[in-house]
Amino acid sequence: MADPLTDNRPGEEEDEDEEELDDSSYKTIKDAVLFAIDVSPTMLEQPPLPDDKKAERDSPTSAALKCAYQLMQQRIISNPNDMMGILLFGTEKTDLKDGDNTFQHCYLLSDLDVPSAQDVKQLRDMVENEEEAAKLLRPAAEGATIATVLFCANQIFTTKAPNFSSRRLFLVTDNDYPIIAKHDKDTAVTRARDLYDLGCTIDLFPISRVDHAFDRSRFYDDLVYPSSPSDPEAPVSTLSTTKVATSGDGISLLKQLLSSINSKAAPRRALFSLPLEIGPELRIGVKGFILIKRQEHVKSCYVWVGGEKVQIATGSTSHLADDTARTVEKGELRKAYKFGGETITFTPDEFIQIRQCFGDPVIRIIGFKPLSAASIWANIGKATFMYPSEAEFVGSTRVFSALQQKLLKSKRMAVAWFVARKNAAPVIAAIIPAAEKYDDNDEQTMPPGLWLIPLPFADDLRQPPDQGTTLKTTEELTDKMRIVIEQLQLPKGIYDPSKYPNPDLQWFYRILQAMALEEEVPTKPDDRTIPKYRQIDKRASQYIEDFGNAFNEVYQSAKKPGKTANLVSRKRGGASNAVKDEDDEVDAKSKPARKKIKQESKTQEVEMDLDEVEEGGLTDAQMGELNDRGKLSKETVGSLKDFLKARKQSTAGKKVELVERVQDYLESKGL
Amino acid sequence: MAQKEATVYVLDLGRSMGEKRHGRSKSNLDWAMEYIWDKITTTVATGRKTSLVGVVGYRTDVTELDGVLEDSDGYDNIHVFSRPKQFLLSDIRELQDNIKPSSTNEGDEPVLGALAVAIHMIDKATEGKTKKPLKFDRRIVIISDGYGELDTSDLDGYVSKMNQEDAKYDLTLLGVDFDDPDYGYKEEDKDSVKEENETILKDLVNNCAGNFGTLAVAIDQLDIPRTKDTRAVPSYKGTLTLGDIRNYEATLTMDIERYPCTMIAKPPTASSFVVRAGLDDQAGAGPSTQSTATAAGDASGDAQLPGGDLSAVRNQRVYKVENPEEPGEKMNVEPDELERGFEYGRTAVHISESDMNVVKLETDPSFELLGFVPEEKFERYLPMSRTNFIVPQKANDQAQLALSSFVHALYEAGCYAVARLVTKQYKPPILVLLVPHIKGDFEALIDVELPFEEDIRRYKFPPLDRKLTVSGKVIAEHRDIPNDRLMQSMSDYVDAMDLSTFDLDDEGEPDEYMKFEDTYSPLLHRINHIIRWRATNNTYDKLPDPPRILTKYSVPPIDLIAQAQTHLDALKEAADVKKVPPKVKGRGKRSLRDREKPLSGLDVDELLGNPKRVKIDSQNLIPSFKQALAATDDLDAIQSAADDMSKNIKSLIRSSVGESGYGRALEAIRVMREEITELEEPEIYNAFIRGLKIDILNGSLQGDRREMWWRIRGSKYGLIDRKRSFASDVTEEEAAEFYKRS
Repeated sequence: MADPLTDNRPGEEEDEDEEELDDSSYKTIKDAVLFAIDVSPTMLEQPPLPDDKKAERDSPTSAALKCAYQLMQQRIISNPNDMMGILLFGTEKTDLKDGDNTFQHCYLLSDLDVPSAQDVKQLRDMVENEEEAAKLLRPAAEGATIATVLFCANQIFTTKAPNFSSRRLFLVTDNDYPIIAKHDKDTAVTRARDLYDLGCTIDLFPISRVDHAFDRSRFYDDLVYPSSPSDPEAPVSTLSTTKVATSGDGISLLKQLLSSINSKAAPRRALFSLPLEIGPELRIGVKGFILIKRQEHVKSCYVWVGGEKVQIATGSTSHLADDTARTVEKGELRKAYKFGGETITFTPDEFIQIRQCFGDPVIRIIGFKPLSAASIWANIGKATFMYPSEAEFVGSTRVFSALQQKLLKSKRMAVAWFVARKNAAPVIAAIIPAAEKYDDNDEQTMPPGLWLIPLPFADDLRQPPDQGTTLKTTEELTDKMRIVIEQLQLPKGIYDPSKYPNPDLQWFYRILQAMALEEEVPTKPDDRTIPKYRQIDKRASQYIEDFGNAFNEVYQSAKKPGKTANLVSRKRGGASNAVKDEDDEVDAKSKPARKKIKQESKTQEVEMDLDEVEEGGLTDAQMGELNDRGKLSKETVGSLKDFLKARKQSTAGKKVELVERVQDYLESKGL
Repeated sequence: MAQKEATVYVLDLGRSMGEKRHGRSKSNLDWAMEYIWDKITTTVATGRKTSLVGVVGYRTDVTELDGVLEDSDGYDNIHVFSRPKQFLLSDIRELQDNIKPSSTNEGDEPVLGALAVAIHMIDKATEGKTKKPLKFDRRIVIISDGYGELDTSDLDGYVSKMNQEDAKYDLTLLGVDFDDPDYGYKEEDKDSVKEENETILKDLVNNCAGNFGTLAVAIDQLDIPRTKDTRAVPSYKGTLTLGDIRNYEATLTMDIERYPCTMIAKPPTASSFVVRAGLDDQAGAGPSTQSTATAAGDASGDAQLPGGDLSAVRNQRVYKVENPEEPGEKMNVEPDELERGFEYGRTAVHISESDMNVVKLETDPSFELLGFVPEEKFERYLPMSRTNFIVPQKANDQAQLALSSFVHALYEAGCYAVARLVTKQYKPPILVLLVPHIKGDFEALIDVELPFEEDIRRYKFPPLDRKLTVSGKVIAEHRDIPNDRLMQSMSDYVDAMDLSTFDLDDEGEPDEYMKFEDTYSPLLHRINHIIRWRATNNTYDKLPDPPRILTKYSVPPIDLIAQAQTHLDALKEAADVKKVPPKVKGRGKRSLRDREKPLSGLDVDELLGNPKRVKIDSQNLIPSFKQALAATDDLDAIQSAADDMSKNIKSLIRSSVGESGYGRALEAIRVMREEITELEEPEIYNAFIRGLKIDILNGSLQGDRREMWWRIRGSKYGLIDRKRSFASDVTEEEAAEFYKRS
């Protein structure tokens, strides 16, 4: 929870001591988005019936509302502290929820604030109930002037989100020349500049009509500024990437609008701005961006149930000295390391010296290696995206581009010494190139640039455990398995994250939303990470059975004589279930019948196995195997006890005694 | 794995150890102790109760066996400083006082006697109640300078004792200036007695399969950081399946276990303490490097607060809510009125403890394959976690065979698998990539987490290899696009700086430079090193620098850069990168011309007729203030704009219901501070903020506005000091003082 004493702007002075240096120390800026949606006769027109019956036929206004609805839900998940508001303009009604009628034909559908469950509900009702919506979506004879809208937005931002460092006006309209007299234009231009001076950005989402393509240069280029006041050095994506959504086109308007709005869903802010040292005395400027980060749901919090309305309780921590219980100011705290039952401390200056002895923040290339040197097994965390910046070094972009293209062409990577911030722990990182990627609609799906991937130190590598077995595959077996693998490629042979929403996150918010709105709680989750069983069966069952048969043969021949009985009795294990079908194969004439029997026996088997795992631990055979290899003493006491307990043996005594008892038991079983 | 261990250090404290030899600045003993302290402090740092340390000195002035042997006959000049026990900082300090060279040089060399004492001590400390030896690593480290007469009568006895099957001893002997052909050291003009002793001791150690070496080697190796072995704990034990085993027939099931493959080793973290009450006023309390800045503590080393001059800190949390009776005011609430809940936007959703599971997705432990992707189509930047080994279930041959075929099939097909993993019941499912891993005899899968849809932020960036105009035309030549010369010189440089063959392996063949195994976590070892160093150095002038090995990989290898120098020079020239000079700021430099223009390039000021004076509009406060400043460079006009701003800010505070207007006021203060700083007229702002502070704290802005002051303080919107603006006459101390209430 936010400390009430700190506002939302990053501090001007560098924080002196950074203990934890992960992302949590990197505060995302707070963002306020005000959707301004044009309500005019043309905006309310439904597109002509397309050839494709399934295509959505939203009017531009309703498509914009749907976008807003989706964005609102999405932002509750991804930016729970950010504000959002929706302003309709050009409506017959005038209402800004404050009794003021200064801004004619502006209707504030939901006020600029962190969305509440009610806001979500209201918006949903608008989107789902067209009749209700129609009452509100009635255009005024004379629309609102654009200057009024801009000044209205100015007032809303000033009062509702005064110290948000990112404030953005999302303007959705199909009118590229919303003025009558030149005077109107001058006022609009002035109001737009006011907004810019206030620190707000205008993001235009233009919509082209069937008979009229939206032309930004007629009017809006005088209103929109090239850089964002909250992040003046951020690379500005070129204008052509903001697509003009075409009403009544083949791809639905909604989808186009969603796509352009999604790319602006979160304000972009650099994680770091650092020199990239390509060689001694050759530095360029780069900025780092987090493009991949695990999205978690909100942590549970305390709510106060003592009043009429449930309220979130905000907590604050104070420090007390343990000896006198007096309150301690932050400045009095001293850091010390525990060592040998006591503490070892250093002065604040020394602490800085200890951490900062590795030099200033930099990304310094040490040399180059083939891409394969950043093996996946050596991954230790997520990658950070880098893009050039001209702010510190003029010419950075072309040098960065040359490096990126060279690395792409030669399939090479750089190895770099990376100190992210003043007190950050130095890291060795791989710098790998990424080419720009597009989807079928020419929309960028992955930007071009370089990725910084942290690499492990010797200290971070763990030794694999010794599992005490040595059976190796045969060529035949490998080939059979390979066929299975080749049958089951994912679509287009790629892992596409956009196909897999996080089922846990989605479920969490579906339930939470239902509870917040006091609606019925859904019962069935939509989980797209569950394998497509039917397809797997259809495409590979035959090959899996082939493999199962081959597996049995190989396994039988590889086994040591004398142990057959024990191992076969355990059907589960490494064998495929297909193996088990063999017994039934002969009399299985009618498939359904057989299946039923199979299922019963399988359920039993699963249960039995569970029992075994929970209580028995290792099987006789496995334990015997360990004993043969002299590895019994490496087992934990817990696992020995589990084993003995499941076999009704005593579990008393020291480990040595347990081992002896296990050996006695195995001997009695002839192992 | 954390095996129990007992180590006894057997130290030569004879008079000859006090000498400085072969031009060293330290005495032999101090030199040797560098090694011993490093070893002991490393053990102490683990904080393990099962790592015992004992210390025995020989050739000492006194004979003191501390009751290890009842009969001290034949054990003259042996001093037991510490029997094996968990060593603490206080033990280190005590030992430091005791370790000094004696005046004894004469008599029989009692090293073997001391060894006998050490063995006896360890035996006693590591035996069970039934006198049976327990499972322990038994180690003896002997330091000797090789002088003195050796009694060689019972060498075989030692050898057989130390090689005992159930209680083996690991013996290390480090000699001061002993000959070591492997290391290439031979002492010139060696004393004949020493030469003889060296041979005898070497035989003894070799017969015990121990380590025999010269001290210099051991000291040299101290800088190589030691990595910690951690016992592997499985995060999942279960099945890896293909297909629905409940409803379909042809499915695959493999019994597997999942163990960590990479895991970031974190440096030790410092805890918070506070200087004990009452010590504040005493001279020398406070952070002084010269005094003992340590706190004595209890032996358990647990969270119990240590004595000494530092006291532990407890955290107390207070919860507040909006007071329903007085809007805008907060009130404290008792913990028993609080229950669990979640925030949905700004709506609080109360979920009783018993209902907490409803928000959880119902899952059961499972590991299921989704499908496969060719490795060349997989983007290396997608994996987002550390990695794990997937290995067959312990001692399960079937699982081993099945996994082996799967690993090899993936490898040969050049494919990775994508799978869904739930490690425990009710844990959220994750998607992981499975990569085949074959290293010699070891076969496994490696798993690493993949991002979900929500984990990807879809920011867009312009292309790097071409430039698009506003109208969508592609430009191939541009200052942001590298020309052929830059491309070529970059290519040459990258090729010249190849690390994949820069190192040499043991056979002298080209090998990869900077392998993972050769790099050590700099901060981790730096902090460990400095803590250990500090534990044995109570007084010092400055902290030591980090060991060289920790900074070795912070710069390109000098030889390689030298080879690539011509390419680097060519690249630098082709790149033509220029550092941007620090912004030229100040009044006068800033003019209307520099104002940011909209996309069309329209000059908005000209459109408005370049007004000379802009009135501050309370309805449009911040923009009109900025515009007023931009329109003039007249000091009076600036002052008057600032005065208007000041009036507006105070009025915002005065009319604020509760805290409702504070945010706007704060933002106005921020803008004012920033703009005035840029105009280099800090006094205008400083005068304003001084006045505002008085008004707020005097209560002259309609009631108690202290919260507003806290916010100004918290945002650090106080005086503009010299550091921020050279035109300011406020010192940094003054600025800091300003934040204190008075």
